[in-house]
Amino acid sequence: MNALQQDIAQLIIDTLNLEDVTVDDIPPDLPLFGEGLGLDSVDALELALALQKRYDIRIASDSKDARQHFTTVATLAAFVQAQQDACAS
Amino acid sequence: MSAQGLQERHWSTHKERGSFVLMWLTALSVRVFGRRLLAPVLYLIVLYFFASARAARRNIRQYQSYLAEWSGKPTLQPTLGSVFKQFIAFADNLLDRLDVWRGRLRYEQVQLVDPSGVRSRLLRSRQGGRGEMLVVTHLGNPDVCRAMAELSEQVPLNVLVHNRHVAQFNRLLGEAGDRSMRLIQVSELDTAMMMDLSQRLERGEWLAIAGDRVPLNDGRRVTVDFLGHAAAFPQGPWLMAGLLRCPVNLLCCLKVEGRYRIYLDGFLDQAQWERGRRDATIRDWVGRYAEHLAQQCLIAPQQWFNFYAYWQSAERPEPKEAADAH
Repeated sequence: MNALQQDIAQLIIDTLNLEDVTVDDIPPDLPLFGEGLGLDSVDALELALALQKRYDIRIASDSKDARQHFTTVATLAAFVQAQQDACAS
Repeated sequence: MSAQGLQERHWSTHKERGSFVLMWLTALSVRVFGRRLLAPVLYLIVLYFFASARAARRNIRQYQSYLAEWSGKPTLQPTLGSVFKQFIAFADNLLDRLDVWRGRLRYEQVQLVDPSGVRSRLLRSRQGGRGEMLVVTHLGNPDVCRAMAELSEQVPLNVLVHNRHVAQFNRLLGEAGDRSMRLIQVSELDTAMMMDLSQRLERGEWLAIAGDRVPLNDGRRVTVDFLGHAAAFPQGPWLMAGLLRCPVNLLCCLKVEGRYRIYLDGFLDQAQWERGRRDATIRDWVGRYAEHLAQQCLIAPQQWFNFYAYWQSAERPEPKEAADAH
């Protein structure tokens, strides 16, 4: 798990107040929704808000892409990285 | 089976009969003829509405009898006269709303009942404080947000509506010279909308949203006791508040003894839930809100202007239960 992935996993725990969950419980490839971590659509909104604030990025609403970015911690990290790179350049 | 179910329609399909279309028309004609000339016309329209809209009459009767039973005040039991009075109150309300929109109802004419000091927090938002949420109702005069915007003295107020005519309303506001209030259409909670609202709060702007009407296409609703019977309320405003982690206040404007009173009540210091208890927390908030609403109905019993079947969705008979409760 790289630093950004770890950071995002911690952000998920803090934002959603996941008690008894540690960063190690959220491996990068664990599905966040449904069977994996069991998040739902309201959690997704909460998370999106937190991510946008934390990393100063914009998440387009409701696009298919947005949904794919939220699949796992790994996809989220890749998305955040891509957004930050795009802003930096 | 009666044809009752067929006649019940969702409030949004009523297009707020009278409210928007009529308001738009009357706004124009008031400008031409003035309120004194227009009032008889409006009363005629409301009389026609009263005579023709059987469902609306029945719904108001239902509201009045629930209120009477719940409060234990038999004097509030419906009669033909009391139902008619409620329709007339609606006509008066429309005329008042026109005054509000034209900026005729000044802040000095309005009494403020604000025991928890919501207004001082509103004014503080000018100096870099974070904005808050106001949950408004269709009891009394919801358009008083306009007067509220004046009361806020330049603190921008964003009114979130499901209405598609937002652009027209905003134009109307612009014509009235109002720059501090704007309407925002919300159809769904999505990330872009939430981010936008979140940034507005950070900038010290306030948000207002109705808490008593369930949108047609939104399955997010919660059923709680209201005036002694189960009624559906929207979850949206409360989800929004929880996501934005902002304080929530209740705003209601009632005409009492011929004068408008704005009731401001602090409701949640910060909307927040424990994960896993989210639904229960929202149900609890909505239950308290419905209780508050019921108390305010008692202050102005005739100013309940939800003419559609308010308790309908809750009372649709479940397969397991016969509808013999009443």
